[in-house]
Amino acid sequence: MKKASCPECGAEIEVLDDVIVGEIVSCPDCGLELEVVEVEGERVKVKVLQVSGEDWGE
Amino acid sequence: MVKVGGRLVREGGIPEGILSDLEALSKDWSIIFVHGGADLVTEVAQRMGKEQKFIVSPDGMRSRYTDRETMEIYTMVMAGKVNKQLVASLQARGIKALGLSGADGMLLKAERKKKLVVLDDRGRRIAIDGGYTGKIKEVDSGLIRSLLEAGYLPVVAPIAIDDEYNLLNVDSDRAAAYLAGALKASLLVYCTDVEGVILDGKLVERLSSFEAEEELPRIGHGMKRKVYAALEALSMGVREVVITYGLGEKPVTSALHHEAGTLITP
Repeated sequence: MKKASCPECGAEIEVLDDVIVGEIVSCPDCGLELEVVEVEGERVKVKVLQVSGEDWGE
Repeated sequence: MVKVGGRLVREGGIPEGILSDLEALSKDWSIIFVHGGADLVTEVAQRMGKEQKFIVSPDGMRSRYTDRETMEIYTMVMAGKVNKQLVASLQARGIKALGLSGADGMLLKAERKKKLVVLDDRGRRIAIDGGYTGKIKEVDSGLIRSLLEAGYLPVVAPIAIDDEYNLLNVDSDRAAAYLAGALKASLLVYCTDVEGVILDGKLVERLSSFEAEEELPRIGHGMKRKVYAALEALSMGVREVVITYGLGEKPVTSALHHEAGTLITP
């Protein structure tokens, strides 16, 4: 498993080895949704996910 | 407010029952018509060699992925072919129809989606660029009111405009809900290719907003969008929403008299 750190609460997050940029993971401690922005070796960088609701047009 | 879905307008016009119904009703009522046309956009895009990509949200909703080129085709088809064919069909019945998109006169202002969350081939959630889709945030009801006062029946294509003047693909059910809400419409009718909300194999004739919200998890995805939109419309001050079958006789009049479809009230 790769590791990431929650930018909000600092908790360590375990991420699947085949994780890709753009993938969304949840922080097990604070529950925040995070977007993977970089995968470098065993470390994964994440940022808080910012999306609006499901309204995707026709 | 009458919204007619893409499946009903795809053969180049409005079903006969809706046309004759609107002809009669437009004498006494101020009517606004909002249309879909998603299937036609896909068809034309494919004919032009632009394969359409569809994405699935984590909740299982399937949508078109609107990149720049797709948005160009979408605008051509929705504000062009579909909108003008509908205007012509209504005018052939003596109705003073006027076609416009939500971008005209800044009728529908929307915020462009920065990111969308989709399920990838592995079933995992991925954030992708939002493309040219948007969420409506403002309606200029003054323009529509002036058209109604001048005796026109506005026919609105589901296109919005953002702060940077990008044209955006917006859901036509939502567009109808926001327009109806801004105008505090007495009735919003969704004409579809099914009888209404079906639960346990039976048509649900009436739902309160509370009941509709409770039943949402049991409602199929296509219909769920309409129920969501109906709830939004009601929360914005629309008095009643009816989701009904648009291929029968007098579907709008039947909805008005609560004789068909699913009636959703606040």
